[in-house]
Amino acid sequence: MSNIDDSTAGRTQQTVAAGVILALSIWVAYVSFDVDDPQPYLFPRLFSVVMVVLAAVALVRALRGANRTGTVMGGRQFARIVPVLALMLLYVFVLIPLLGFYTAAAVSFLAVYTVYDPQSHLSAAVWLKRLTITVGFIAVIYVVFALGLKVQTPRALFI
Amino acid sequence: MKTFAETFSFVTPVVQADIGGDHIFKISRAGSSTPEDAPTMEFIYHFGPVFTLSSLAILCAGTFGGLLLGATPGLSPTMAVALLIPFTFHMDPAQGLMLLGAAYTATVAGGAVSAILLKIPGAPANIATALDGYEMARKGEGAKALQLCFISSFIGGVLGVLVLIFLTPLLAQWALSFGPSHLFWIAILGVTIIGSLDSKSVIKGLLAGCIGLWIAMIGYDSVQGVERFIFSEHLEGGVHIIAALIGLFAIPQVIEMLEGGRNLRTYDMIKVKPHNVWDSVRTTLAHPRTVSIGSIVGIIIGLIPGAGGQIAGLVAYDQSKRFSPKRKLFGTGEPEGVIAAETANNAMVGPSLVPLLTLSVPGSPTAAVLLGGLLIHGIFPGPNLFEKHADVAWAFINSLLIGQLLMMLFGLYIAGLAAHVVRVPPAILASAILVLAVFGAYSVQNSMSDVVVMLVLGIGMYFLQQYGYSAAPLVLGVILGPIAESNYVQGRIIASAGDGMFTYFCTGTMNLILIALVIASVGYSFASEFRTRQRASEPEKTA
Repeated sequence: MSNIDDSTAGRTQQTVAAGVILALSIWVAYVSFDVDDPQPYLFPRLFSVVMVVLAAVALVRALRGANRTGTVMGGRQFARIVPVLALMLLYVFVLIPLLGFYTAAAVSFLAVYTVYDPQSHLSAAVWLKRLTITVGFIAVIYVVFALGLKVQTPRALFI
Repeated sequence: MKTFAETFSFVTPVVQADIGGDHIFKISRAGSSTPEDAPTMEFIYHFGPVFTLSSLAILCAGTFGGLLLGATPGLSPTMAVALLIPFTFHMDPAQGLMLLGAAYTATVAGGAVSAILLKIPGAPANIATALDGYEMARKGEGAKALQLCFISSFIGGVLGVLVLIFLTPLLAQWALSFGPSHLFWIAILGVTIIGSLDSKSVIKGLLAGCIGLWIAMIGYDSVQGVERFIFSEHLEGGVHIIAALIGLFAIPQVIEMLEGGRNLRTYDMIKVKPHNVWDSVRTTLAHPRTVSIGSIVGIIIGLIPGAGGQIAGLVAYDQSKRFSPKRKLFGTGEPEGVIAAETANNAMVGPSLVPLLTLSVPGSPTAAVLLGGLLIHGIFPGPNLFEKHADVAWAFINSLLIGQLLMMLFGLYIAGLAAHVVRVPPAILASAILVLAVFGAYSVQNSMSDVVVMLVLGIGMYFLQQYGYSAAPLVLGVILGPIAESNYVQGRIIASAGDGMFTYFCTGTMNLILIALVIASVGYSFASEFRTRQRASEPEKTA
C-alpha cells in the first residue's frame, strides 16, 4: 500500500470512488425532489444539493489528479483482504441462518484466525491451540450474551 | 454495605431507587437552597451513585479493560467504546455511561504502553509519548516511563474533568436560551467542524458528513411516518445508531489488521525492570512547568471540537521542549517529554465532552460514540441535560473523576500485564472483534437487519477510507442528522408563522455567530489544506 500520487492507478481509483459517490448523491437528490408530498423530504433536499455539488467537485479533482488523500489499493493488498471479506459475508448471510448464532460465530472465528495465522497449518499443536482459543472465546461470549445479557439469538441447526 | 451518601452528614438521601439490585442514592443538599443557586457546585451532591458497589465494579472493569484495549496496537479508543455500547444497553443509564467514560479515559492512557514499549502508539493521542518514552525504555527505564505516563495522565485527567465540571453547567445554562434555528446551526456546525478539521481533504470530509446525514434519513420520517430511501427490507427500521457506530469503526479496523495477510508481525518488545513508584511521583512533581503546559494545552485543545488528543500531545510536547532548559535532550529519553505528552492527552478528555454535553456537538470521534451511548438511553445532551437528566449527567461526570484515580492505580500495577496483551496476534484480535461486532449489533434490538446494516456499512467504510474519506464526519452526520432535521422542521413552522425562513434562520446575533463559525471552520480548513499543498509542491518545483 502506498501513498497516493499522480499515478494512473491512483487517479483511476479516486475517479471511480468519486463517480460512485456522485451517482449516490444524484440519486438521493432525485428521490428527494421527485415526490408528491415534499414535507418529509425538506431536510434531505437541503443537504442533497450540497452533496451533489461536493461530489461533483470531488470528481473533477479526481479526474485532474488533484486528490492527494488516501491510498492506492494494489492488487496484492486486495487479494489479502478478499478472504476476510468473503468470510464476513459468509458468516452473516450463510452461516448464521444455517448453523445458528453461536456455532456460526465459532466457525467464523476459527476460519478467520486460521486463514490469517502465520503458523503452519500442518502442525497438530497449532490446530489444538486454535481450537482451544476458539472454544474459550465463544464460551466467554456465550456467558456474557446468553447468560449475562439474556440476548435471545436465532436458532438454526445448532444454537 | 454503607454507601458514600450515608457516610456524609452534609447530604440527605431523598430518593432511593433500586437499580440492578443495588440501592443507589440520589442525594440533595440538606439545606433549602436549590441546585440552581450554585450550579457549579452541583456535582458534589451526585457522588452517591458513583460509590455503590456495582458502580465501582463497573468503573474498575471499564478502566481495566480500557487499559488493556488501549495498550493493544490497532485498537482505537473510539472502536473500543463503540464495541462497549451494546453492553450498556441493558444497564442503568448512569452506570452504562460510567462504563463508557472509564473505558474512554483508560484507552487513551493505555495507548502509552505500546508507545513506550514498542514505539507503536496504541492511539493517535500517544504519538508524542513514543518520542521519549521508547528511548527511556531502551535505556532500561521502561517502568519509570510507564509510571510517569500514568501519574501525569492522572494529573492532567483530573484537571480536565474539573474544567468539565465547572464549565459545563455554565455553558448549559447559557445554551438554554437557544431556539430551533440555533440548534439547527449547531448540528450543522458539528458536522462541518469534524468534516473539515478531522479530514485531510475538506471536500471529502464534508461529503462524508453529507453521506452520514443521508444514512440518518433512511427509514420512516418521524413526523408523518413516510418511507424514505428504503431500498432493502433490512432498512425498514432505519439505520440504528449503534449498528452504524460498530460497523463504521470496528469493521474497517478488522480488515486493516488483516491487510498484511499471513505475514508474522513481530514486535521487538523491551523488557520492563521494576522501578520505585515514589521516585516517579517525585520526578513528575519536580516538573510543575511541564505539567502546567501539558494541562493547559490539553484543556484548550480539548475544548476545540475536532482537534483531538493527537494534536494536544504533540503541541504540549513541542511547547514543553521550547521552555525546557533540557530541550536538547528531548527525543533522547527525557522524562519531561513523556510527562508533557501524557498530561496533555488526558487533560483533553474532560474538556472534549463540554461541547457534547452542552450543545450536542461531540468534540472528537470518541465523544461522538459517547453521544450514541447517551442517545440509546433516551438522553439527549444539550441545554436541557442538567434540567431533565441531572442525576445521570452528574453521575457520569463524577465517575470520570474517580476513573482518573482508578486509571492511575491500575495503570501502575498492570503495566506489565498490558505489555503481554500487545503481543496478541492480529488474526486472533481481528476474529474476536468481528464476532463481538456481530453480537453487539444484534443484541441492541435482537435484529439480524442491524447485523447486515453494520457489516455493509463497515465494508463500505473500509473502501471509503482507502480513498481519503474518514469515518468521524460520517458518524457525526448519522448522529446529528435527526437533531438537525427536527430543528429545521420546527424552525420552518415558527418561520412560516413569523417573518419567513431567511429572517428566522439567518438573522439574529446567535444565528450569525453560528453561521460565521460554520463558514470559518470550512474556510480555515480550506486555507490550511491549500497551504499544505503549496508547501508539498515547492520541493517538486525546486527539484
